[in-house]
Amino acid sequence: MSRVLLAGAAVTFLIVLVATAPDTRPVASTSPQVVHRSGVQDGPGLRALQARYKTLSKRLSQLKPSQPYILVDTARNRLYVKRQGEVVLDAIASTGSGTILDKPGDDTSQWIFDTPRGEFLVQSKLTKPTWIKPDWAFIEEGLGVPKNADERAEQGVLGDYALGFGKGYFIHGTLYTRLLGKNVTHGCIRLNDTDLKGVYTLARVGTPIMIF
Amino acid sequence: MNLCAILALFALTTPSWGKDLEAFPNLNLNDPGSVKEATRVLEEELKLAARPHTYVLIDLVGKTIHIKGRGVELHHMPLVQWSVGSWEKLTGVHRLVARPQVVRRKIEPGKGDEQEPISLTDMPADYDLSFASGLTINVAPLAEKGNLVQGIAFMGKAWWRRLKNWTSTIGTGQPSSSAAQLEITVSVDHAQSLAWSLVDGMAVLIRRSADR
Repeated sequence: MSRVLLAGAAVTFLIVLVATAPDTRPVASTSPQVVHRSGVQDGPGLRALQARYKTLSKRLSQLKPSQPYILVDTARNRLYVKRQGEVVLDAIASTGSGTILDKPGDDTSQWIFDTPRGEFLVQSKLTKPTWIKPDWAFIEEGLGVPKNADERAEQGVLGDYALGFGKGYFIHGTLYTRLLGKNVTHGCIRLNDTDLKGVYTLARVGTPIMIF
Repeated sequence: MNLCAILALFALTTPSWGKDLEAFPNLNLNDPGSVKEATRVLEEELKLAARPHTYVLIDLVGKTIHIKGRGVELHHMPLVQWSVGSWEKLTGVHRLVARPQVVRRKIEPGKGDEQEPISLTDMPADYDLSFASGLTINVAPLAEKGNLVQGIAFMGKAWWRRLKNWTSTIGTGQPSSSAAQLEITVSVDHAQSLAWSLVDGMAVLIRRSADR
């Protein structure tokens, strides 16, 4: 038993030595030096700076999502689900067209069909979603806006699943799979059936969605 | 307590440190000025990463533009070259006043399917970004090889800016406000990609380098 304890202590000691050893990485020749000398010289000052840098790096690292998150590249129309920085799902998407549509009877107001950029959260997960057509969907088609709410409901156009991320924006399916990879939507994010099912399975309510 | 338990306890209680935790893997940890600059940027970034917004980090040392959120890199693009007027004015968080203008196509009701969406190629490649802090970033696309006219145009523009700054300084006896200026050159694709990814009010951080 004492031998085991002795061996354990020796291994622990070695790990402590390695973990606390000063960084002896060589100076990278391609890394230019900053001109703003702070008066900090080698020694305790430098070590304090290094420790501060490492602490801050660790704190930044801790802000990264530990659970899967969704990343959307609107310029290249790609959606990724990542976990700890690793891609677990890579999908071709369709995002906002960036076009504009005038609001009838209002010269100063218009709809802009951009996919919003920034960080959002999955707020809802729906199966067999019904599209409640907004005003712009009728106006764009040159139709009048119905007064009866029932006339807005359309089945089967959003695919089997939809993930809402606020203000009426969803990740959903599409009938127009030939348009995947293009900026053609009114702000929502479209996927094919297989990828949509994958995202629906991996994401939970509260999963972050980062869009750029 | 056996050896495994000791090692497991040690692993859980010892702060780990690896390259993957480093915010700037290209940092020369033996140079106090570089570490101090990296620490300054990290302190600013931690505040931005704690909020649900995407932000931009222009790393003049690593010659890379990073689009980030929550400390996660969403996208990056290489910087070909850069030059700067005043080092001191690059510190802090710079808020973009307005993203570069893009000509949006208007949807004609009843002809929705015929409208061409905007795409990356519609984005400008040569533009100025103004920030609430007074900083201006001039984004210039890399002249295509052999395109003499384009090359001369870019050089002329750069000289014109310098001449304007110089005459302003001579005229007022004060350093020009436009001295808070960073000129960056990226490929055409990356200039357009950056313009696409920016949003009004977006925060930009700059990691400075001595390599002017």
